[in-house]
Amino acid sequence: MTDIEPDPNPETLEQFKNSFSYGTRSDLTFKFLKSLSPEDAGEFFRQLLGEVGRSLDHGEVEPIHQLIFDWQVRGYERSGPSHEYDTAPFVAPPKPVSESKVGVLTSSGHFPAWDDPNPFGVENMTQAEAEARISEFMRDTPTLSAIPIDIDPGDLRVRHGGYDVRSVSHDPDVAFPLQTLIALQAEGVIGELSSPMYSFTGATSQGRLRKQALPGWIDRVKGDGIDVLLLVPV
Amino acid sequence: MSVGHVARGFEEAGIPTVSVFVRAFRHVAEVMKLPRAVITQHPMGRPLGGPGDRERQRTVIEAALGLFDSATAGGTVVEIGDAWRPGAVNR
Repeated sequence: MTDIEPDPNPETLEQFKNSFSYGTRSDLTFKFLKSLSPEDAGEFFRQLLGEVGRSLDHGEVEPIHQLIFDWQVRGYERSGPSHEYDTAPFVAPPKPVSESKVGVLTSSGHFPAWDDPNPFGVENMTQAEAEARISEFMRDTPTLSAIPIDIDPGDLRVRHGGYDVRSVSHDPDVAFPLQTLIALQAEGVIGELSSPMYSFTGATSQGRLRKQALPGWIDRVKGDGIDVLLLVPV
Repeated sequence: MSVGHVARGFEEAGIPTVSVFVRAFRHVAEVMKLPRAVITQHPMGRPLGGPGDRERQRTVIEAALGLFDSATAGGTVVEIGDAWRPGAVNR
């Protein structure tokens, strides 16, 4: 048996948990670990391994999913938004939703293959590069992509350095409800689905979004003649 | 948070909005005082339902659209209780 030399600089639990957030072990489903204390992160892994062990016998994965969900909630609740308001704006819709023209805008990072926003001038940026450049996205002005509702599904792309896009890569309707709303339009649940639908990369400069991008977006989307707007953040 | 600004901006410009958040971001909808919000018990990045789960996706969208007809004041937040369920995806 060979003796193992002790590492003179062993990785701390703090470094380990933080490595899941754009670090050496980056996994955006688990980047919430960075928001947890080392003690809570340790407790998460203890509970996770406990459920994984139990699943070997009973085969149920739901407790594992529930555990991840619960700890995501704990993690993100500790990193609350910096923008607080005292009052909520409110306007009443002009007509029932069954008669309304419904617009859609998501922050999921979808775009048509023929109109890639090419962040920072980079053509065909990969998801991995978007994740690697997340700090630059957070300082940049977002681009609004217009996606016609009759788009060929094969032409709908997604790229977003802020969340795990594996799920939406399998099915855009996980965050970009095109097929769902087409069905609801056919059944008369909504009056009309407005085309195009819109999307942008929500990981962006909040100041630039509010001051530089949003006024133009409002003019553009209102110009489509919508009655109401469905928003889907990720 | 980005969509929070978008929701407030459109509503203030006269366009009624509803936003669909996962539970981890419920506090965003509340602190930013959004006009209408639906909360799902889904993991981050999967707000409407699992891939291929049209039934759940429809349930969520219908709940959100329903707020256009039922909400009478800003700050209306409705939580959908259905737990996450995986979609049908081959490895």
